Amino acid sequence: MSLLLEAERFVANQSSYLALNAFINNLCRSAGRWQDQVKDADLRWEQGNPRSKLDGRLIAFKDNICTRNLPTTCASKSLETFTSPFNATVVEQLENAGAILAGKTNLDEFGMGSHSVHSRFGPVKSARRGDDDAGYLSAGGSSGGSAVAVATDQCHSAIGTDTGGSVRLPAAFTGVVGFKPSYGLVSRWGVVAYANSLDTVGVLAKRASIIRDVFDILNQHDPRDPTSLPPASRSRVASKFETSQLSTRLKSSPLRIGVPIEYNISELAPPVRRAWYHSLEHMRQQGHTIHPVSLPMTKSALSAYYILAPAEASSNLAKYDGVRYGTPADGHIRDQDQTERYLYAKTRGEGFGYEVKRRIMLGAFSLSADAIDNYFLQAQRIRRLVRHDFDAVFRAEHPLTSISGVQQSDRTGVDVLICPTAPSPPPSISDLTNSNAVKSSLDAYVNDVFTVPASLAGLPAISVPVSGRSDGDGHADENLVGIQVVGQYGDDELVLKVAELLEGHGL
Amino acid sequence: MLRLCLRHSSRAASSLTCPRCQHHNVLQLSNINHTASTIQLPSYTLFRSLQTTPADSKDRISLRKQLKQDAKSSKAQKRQRREQEAASREKWELTVGVEIHAQLNTETKLFSRASTLSSEIPNSNVALFDLAFPGSQPEFQVATLLPALRAAIALNCEIQPVSRFDRKHYFYQDQPAGYQITQYYEPFARNGYIDLYKHDGIAAEDGDHIRVGIKQIQLEQDTAKSQEYPPSTQLLDFNRVSHPLIEIITLPQIHNPATAAALVRKVQSILQSCNSVTTGMELGGLRADINVSVRQRSEDLGAHQYGGIGGLGQRTEIKNLSSFKAVEDAIIAEKNRQVTVLESGGVIEGETRGWTIGSTETRKLRGKEGEVDYRYMPDPDILPLLIGEDLVAELAATLPTVPDTLLDMLVGPTYNLSIEDAKPLVDLEDGARLEYYQDVVDILRELQHDLPAKAQDDLGRVAGNWVLHELGGLLTKADLPWEAERVTSQSLAAIIDNLQRKKITGATAKQILGMLFDGDRRPVAQLLEEENLILRPLSREEYIALAEAAIELNPSMVEQIRSKNQLGKLGWFVGQMMRMGEKGRVEAQKAEAILKELIVS
Repeated sequence: MSLLLEAERFVANQSSYLALNAFINNLCRSAGRWQDQVKDADLRWEQGNPRSKLDGRLIAFKDNICTRNLPTTCASKSLETFTSPFNATVVEQLENAGAILAGKTNLDEFGMGSHSVHSRFGPVKSARRGDDDAGYLSAGGSSGGSAVAVATDQCHSAIGTDTGGSVRLPAAFTGVVGFKPSYGLVSRWGVVAYANSLDTVGVLAKRASIIRDVFDILNQHDPRDPTSLPPASRSRVASKFETSQLSTRLKSSPLRIGVPIEYNISELAPPVRRAWYHSLEHMRQQGHTIHPVSLPMTKSALSAYYILAPAEASSNLAKYDGVRYGTPADGHIRDQDQTERYLYAKTRGEGFGYEVKRRIMLGAFSLSADAIDNYFLQAQRIRRLVRHDFDAVFRAEHPLTSISGVQQSDRTGVDVLICPTAPSPPPSISDLTNSNAVKSSLDAYVNDVFTVPASLAGLPAISVPVSGRSDGDGHADENLVGIQVVGQYGDDELVLKVAELLEGHGL
Repeated sequence: MLRLCLRHSSRAASSLTCPRCQHHNVLQLSNINHTASTIQLPSYTLFRSLQTTPADSKDRISLRKQLKQDAKSSKAQKRQRREQEAASREKWELTVGVEIHAQLNTETKLFSRASTLSSEIPNSNVALFDLAFPGSQPEFQVATLLPALRAAIALNCEIQPVSRFDRKHYFYQDQPAGYQITQYYEPFARNGYIDLYKHDGIAAEDGDHIRVGIKQIQLEQDTAKSQEYPPSTQLLDFNRVSHPLIEIITLPQIHNPATAAALVRKVQSILQSCNSVTTGMELGGLRADINVSVRQRSEDLGAHQYGGIGGLGQRTEIKNLSSFKAVEDAIIAEKNRQVTVLESGGVIEGETRGWTIGSTETRKLRGKEGEVDYRYMPDPDILPLLIGEDLVAELAATLPTVPDTLLDMLVGPTYNLSIEDAKPLVDLEDGARLEYYQDVVDILRELQHDLPAKAQDDLGRVAGNWVLHELGGLLTKADLPWEAERVTSQSLAAIIDNLQRKKITGATAKQILGMLFDGDRRPVAQLLEEENLILRPLSREEYIALAEAAIELNPSMVEQIRSKNQLGKLGWFVGQMMRMGEKGRVEAQKAEAILKELIVS
């Protein structure tokens, strides 16, 4: 009955950590059939025919992923009462694999935020405390609820979404592993869109091996998602990495590890720099080689991201107008003549929080006729250049955009990049909410500077907790820093392997 | 899901918040007021209202006289308007561009597998994506591309190997996603044209033929239907939402209102002939927006440019016209308005205007300041549309004959039809009438292969007359829809054959046709036999006797014909003779000849 014990412990933790606000809906609040389901899974394990490695495991889903049995609020007032009539593909896949829905986790409204504080249901709080009794630390965002749920053993693993770092940043801030796969590998059907061209479904867990188990279930073509990579392209990608030169990596030949020099910024917090150094040193000791590389578009990438993502968001969120989705503003029928023309404005004004409104305005502006050339189109150009930056440093060619047949046999690029996930450790929530709003918005955006480039290029990236302590300096746990591994498009397997090399080596 | 149609929503459709003014008539009330204040009341209305108060008897004018006066003054007004038109045309050049939205003939919606069948039950044909459910994604239905491609090929467009979908944003309750998916930046078809001929009804000023360029054709989604229940209820039916549409955009190369109407009519007939659409304008399957500008011919070229054509005046757009007449009338009204504004020293604002059937003026819907910025954005979820040359070639090869080619065939030596008869044959019942006509002609040819060549040459024209006018007349009178089996092509051919061989009179032929039309199932030969209708010619003597009897009964008429030379009245006597003679035996031509002999000479 080991699975049942584990599940009961998770559910008990859901009760004891209620104050962290990781869940919007969870199992301890809604008495369900989960116990029977876990018992059935235990039985299948005993009989030697579990549905998958995840049979009987409690998996939490970010609350912007549609579930039939629990509401899907996106942490927004506008969807406060919304329950989807269908399950997202990722929910179906994991339930078919025997996993059990552990609840819906808290997030920044519609995924827009870097600290999971912009929620209709209140901020998520990290279990980690600051040194100076500054109160709760930021869990990172926007999948902060999923990260805290994993960090505090409220579930076996959690599903998040990563648009510009929303899985990796919370993983880094809470000391867990957070993986964003290559764009198009995991279905987005049933994932409420924030910025479709950047949105990916990611996985958070305590160890990279668990992430691999979950990812293996999710890594399937889904005909309902038009951006899901079709089977033919999947085999094409696989065959690119099976060429003699690439297939020996980590097996018989050491890795070439790239260190992007643009990421070594002066604002880098000392523990972050230390953890980065430790990671590289550890890899070097294992026989891999370290190479400085240049990604010149890094600085522009953040600006491009904060034009493209809000532009798509302003479009995607247009449907929450109070007619079908969103709660119509009070009084519009009673006081019709005065307000009818403001129905949409009023409903949306009341339904969305500050940060969402801010991004809708930004997006609407950058798409407007007078601004689109200077903003949206420029940002798309930068996005292409960012992709080009990465293609220039990786040894493997981009498997989908490179012209087939033209194989550069002696490419000298690197296999993966290793860099910090965020420039600084998590700030305290009180710092975020007390300082003036405009300043904190921009500060929050800066947290995404290292995660956004991989999102713009659609690359696989993972954040692994690495200790940033100097010798004899405090507890290891309190100095965990997120270190990011980024690979070429489709090289997800290698990224996961490097994450396993980095984690749990006493770093 | 049914609940959705009962959703209360405020009448958000004020002219300022409604960006398109389609599918709803929220402005109707204010519009009625508008027309009432500007309409020109006929003078007799005024007069009759005066009559209700006691008045001098000498002021009384007989109604008959009054009506005559009215008719006269209305004629004069019309003449004056015509002259003004001519003068204004000389001074001002009108330029018109047309945008036509057509509902494609497809089984599914554009981005879901939901059926497009119109259903009695509201909100029964909707998929998750059609309602923009959070988390749902589009699934482009490849088959919807086929009717769109047929239309584009029939309109001589270049099919683009790569095209893309964009989102056009605006808030309206009939638009569940808050945006319409269309092809703004890269449409699937460009650079087509349409040829318009005299017989298509173009304005006399355009001569025998003009060619109007088609800038592009794009695929896009239709919206939901909203129904208003004032004061505060709107019902929404999402069955129509995301029905595939094409939007056809012409270049501003039209300079006459009648030609614009002819273009819309012809586009409809081309779309129907290639099976791209199911219904025409009358059922809402087609809708047109019109861009209108004027410029003074004597002055320098205007500063505006649309669709790559420069030198134009500031244009306005008239939205959502739903009949050919509305297209023509709205253009005339808008042209006159613009000319009036410019002649009084004003400036035309780039604005969107509306038109109500029966109106005399277009009305402002929203000005430039109220213009919607649609914030076009490439749809990040929909892959580019790649269209192979092989598909285009295959479709082009299997496209049904276009109406122009059919017309050429019908007016050619095979059928010898007049263009006036050929056109309705092609247009009526989506070609069903033409098929029937061709059957009749084929059977007739078979029946009459023994007749001299001259008679055979005439066969197509005669058959056309019977199919269109005689049979058509019966249909109109009975107010029945076309049905090929009502009078079979076999029967009609037999009637015509008997008539041509002078075995029956024209009157008899019409009589039999009427009997068959009313359901008599007997074969024509049997019917003629049993009803004793076969012509047994009268002798000259018998004709003279009949004519004299008729003359004797109506001496005053004879006098009139003789003294005033009113030969037209001979026909009346022919009718008398036919009535008096034995049924089906009096031949009109012969009777008239005898009458002439007796009365005139």
